[in-house]
Amino acid sequence: MRQSLFILLVFIPAIMRGQVIFDVPLSERTTGYDIAAVLETESKTVTGDMTAWWVNRSAMPVDHALLHLYLNAFSSNKSSFASSGRWSPAGDEGWGYVRINRMSDEYGNDLTMTMHYVAPDDGNINDRTVLQIDLPRPVLPGDTLKLNILFESKLPSPIVRTGFNKDYFWVAQWFPKFGVYETAGMRQRESDGWNCHQFHPNSEFYSNHSVYDVSVTIPSEYVAGSGGQLVEEIDNGDGTRKIRWRAEDIVDFAWTAWPGYKVVRDKWRGVDITFLTSEKGLKIADNQINAVKNGLEYLDARVGPYPWPHLTFVDPPMEGAGAGGMEYTTIFTSAGSGLIPPFLKMAEMVSIHEFGHAYFMGILASNEFEEPWLDEGVNSYWEERIVDNYYGGGYGIIRLPFIKMSDADMARTSYIGSPSKQAATNDLPSWLYPHGTYGMMSYQKAATWLHTLEGLISTETMDNVFREYYRRWAFKHPSGKDFIETVNDVVRKEHGEKFGNDMNWFFDQVLYGTEICDYRVSGVTSRKITGYSGIADGDSVAFTRSDRKSDTLYLARVGIERTGGMMLPVEVLVRFDNGDEVIEEWDGKERFRDFEYTGTRKVTRVIIDPDNKIDLDINRINNSWTDDPQFTASGRMMTKFIFLMQMVISLFTI
Amino acid sequence: MDYIRILKRGAAAAATSYRLIIIMWLTALMMVLLVAVPLKSILKGVFDRSLATERMLDGFDAGLAGDMGQSFGYLFGAATLGGLLLMLTGFLLFTFFAGGLFTRFAAAYGDLNVASFMKASARNFFPFLVLALLMTLIIFAWTALIIGVPVGIMAAVTDGAMTGSNLMRIPLLIWALGMPVWLLVADHSRRWMAATGSGRVFRAMGAGFGSLKRRFMRSYGAMLTVMIVNVLFFGAALWIAAWSVPERGGMIFLFFLATQLMFLIRLLLKSWRYAVVSELALLPA
Ligand SMILES: [Zn+2]
Repeated sequence: MRQSLFILLVFIPAIMRGQVIFDVPLSERTTGYDIAAVLETESKTVTGDMTAWWVNRSAMPVDHALLHLYLNAFSSNKSSFASSGRWSPAGDEGWGYVRINRMSDEYGNDLTMTMHYVAPDDGNINDRTVLQIDLPRPVLPGDTLKLNILFESKLPSPIVRTGFNKDYFWVAQWFPKFGVYETAGMRQRESDGWNCHQFHPNSEFYSNHSVYDVSVTIPSEYVAGSGGQLVEEIDNGDGTRKIRWRAEDIVDFAWTAWPGYKVVRDKWRGVDITFLTSEKGLKIADNQINAVKNGLEYLDARVGPYPWPHLTFVDPPMEGAGAGGMEYTTIFTSAGSGLIPPFLKMAEMVSIHEFGHAYFMGILASNEFEEPWLDEGVNSYWEERIVDNYYGGGYGIIRLPFIKMSDADMARTSYIGSPSKQAATNDLPSWLYPHGTYGMMSYQKAATWLHTLEGLISTETMDNVFREYYRRWAFKHPSGKDFIETVNDVVRKEHGEKFGNDMNWFFDQVLYGTEICDYRVSGVTSRKITGYSGIADGDSVAFTRSDRKSDTLYLARVGIERTGGMMLPVEVLVRFDNGDEVIEEWDGKERFRDFEYTGTRKVTRVIIDPDNKIDLDINRINNSWTDDPQFTASGRMMTKFIFLMQMVISLFTI
Repeated sequence: MDYIRILKRGAAAAATSYRLIIIMWLTALMMVLLVAVPLKSILKGVFDRSLATERMLDGFDAGLAGDMGQSFGYLFGAATLGGLLLMLTGFLLFTFFAGGLFTRFAAAYGDLNVASFMKASARNFFPFLVLALLMTLIIFAWTALIIGVPVGIMAAVTDGAMTGSNLMRIPLLIWALGMPVWLLVADHSRRWMAATGSGRVFRAMGAGFGSLKRRFMRSYGAMLTVMIVNVLFFGAALWIAAWSVPERGGMIFLFFLATQLMFLIRLLLKSWRYAVVSELALLPA
């Protein structure tokens, strides 16, 4: 007994903390997991024997620990996740859970008796997704808590983020996992404490960067992949095989198994790309892999290096569609399984988005529960830049002769088109967004104001903001405030006082405010200035014309109105009939602004925000005015409509 | 070579009826304009004096849909409703003209004058309408049976994965090969009504079936040819229209003329079908 304890104490940590992938750890590695798991394909369970460790990096002893038991979200219809209506089981076989059959500390103390469920977010007593363990002896500063856990995870069906469908397994959120113990000052926190949220319908990530050593035993005919690097694969000779993976400095570990997977391998610089797809998905394998390479190239150049030498990328088949569009850093999923028509770049868009989370969540491990915009919004912003950069010449989603749309505009449209766009501020925790506004707010509104920020401070400065954000916060846990501080520092360094002392005025409105932005041209007039006629001091005084007879003087007035509550600085382009152009700058603080010009020229066009910097403007149609409107586009559309109707009628009449 | 001769004679009959076809084209154009003109003025109203239309010079920028706000919904709704109304009235209109065309092709004396064309259209309208509805129903049922049922079974069996999409080519082929039969029945029946002046639909269908049965192989071959030409032209015309992006006012007018010319040809090709079947009916059984 003592001897085995000795081996456990001395050797296990040595193996677990040993460097297999990186010579120098990328992160603090506060937590680590060593799991031996067996997939039972009949009962749809994964049984695991796990050693998990956590290091107390605070200055005070810690007497309890919080663990996520995500799969319990699928254990009843009363969990906070299932009661939202997001998921209901496919028959009795569909329920999922994670059961802890034994838990002990390194001294052999049985901790099972001290386990109890807590619901820090909503107090739901039927929610069993957060487990508290009261420790028999507190973990002292610098000490390591080691837990030996035997668990049994029953996977749910249908798949939502995790689960099974027939013989398809997407094994995510499957093992008991430590919350994050935050020390005072971290993410502006006042005192030390655990940060461990329940499993919500929206958002799911906040974890320490960890070391994973995971072996799984699966039936031999299954093809498997994970977010780890393959260490070894052993044929057990009994119709099963054991695969061992290792991953370092990632925030979560997921894996998948399905007999139908086709494997395609590729490489980008030093990164081994493994693509798992279905027979159908094989025909678009090149497109998919290129999409990920585009993401790698773009973010590597503009944000920071992609640090891992491996990534696994999955295009789930139809039966695994519920696993589509998920991110677990070094393993992520696309969507569409090869069924999306090639002119629509939706599969590429999803692939790039989920890959992007390797940066925004994986490397820059913000708290998605509490600040979803910093994860999904920032990531959507980059996804849109990448998609519109590599596809369709700026119209990344679709570009056909009769219709086009950029990825950025797709997001913007869902924000400006939402009737609830003012329902809440953009800084709420994921589960508090009202009226189903979570997605629109955390993804699309946030991405739209990040594009606006880029428009204001320039693309170059924006890239430098993210380079600095990466430099300061890679493999740490930044908050929204930390991001804003980075923006302020970089903007001040590159633009001085151009935007004031800091950019807080911007974030106060877009992130912490609910106002909308809309500018419009409220009126343009060019009036002839006539000579004075009338009586002055008993005389008649006539206006003196300029010496050239043909010149008429005009008083041109351009009226601009801010109809939204959001005040952003804006440029106004005014063009005159002699070809002159003036760019006016307006701080947008007043409700109205008139620009007046006296001279021989008449105004021919006015464009507010001519460079489309302000994506937040909810109506760009009213941003411009011309004295010579062209209706070629509507004429063409109507011609097509007429012809289409004629043809359709002739088709349906036999 | 009966087959080539019939196609040629049908073509000649259709071509000499160009005045009737121009009447059909003009009426259809007027009707569609009744919907299109108000839609265009809504569109103009939305964009007013904005320069945003410049973003649509090379195709509709769907990114503007949100900026259009509520107007987009109205426009979309109006276009959908207008389209449905047009399909309904168009169905009536072309059924009406079919009555005139078949009378012209059944009669041996060449082109009809406009008044007799209208008169013949009006006389045949009701029985032709009933027949058109019946045949349309039959074609829908045929489609549902041959394509809908296998798709449903496939979806159920493969759990929505549709892994057997190659297998779906077989029902599609059967469906396509069956279509000429239904069109032949419809056309032979209408030709019979036009030739006899009878308005009895079911008798016409019986006669149409009989007429077809007696000349099935020749009829089928000719109809398949006519259909293939029609389908190819239809696809090509839509393709050209969809992919054309004229950018200036004058070009748009030319584009308008080109689409209308294509529609005229489409009407001509369809009349060719009617004429060919009318010629077929004259063949010795
Ligand atoms: Zn995401």
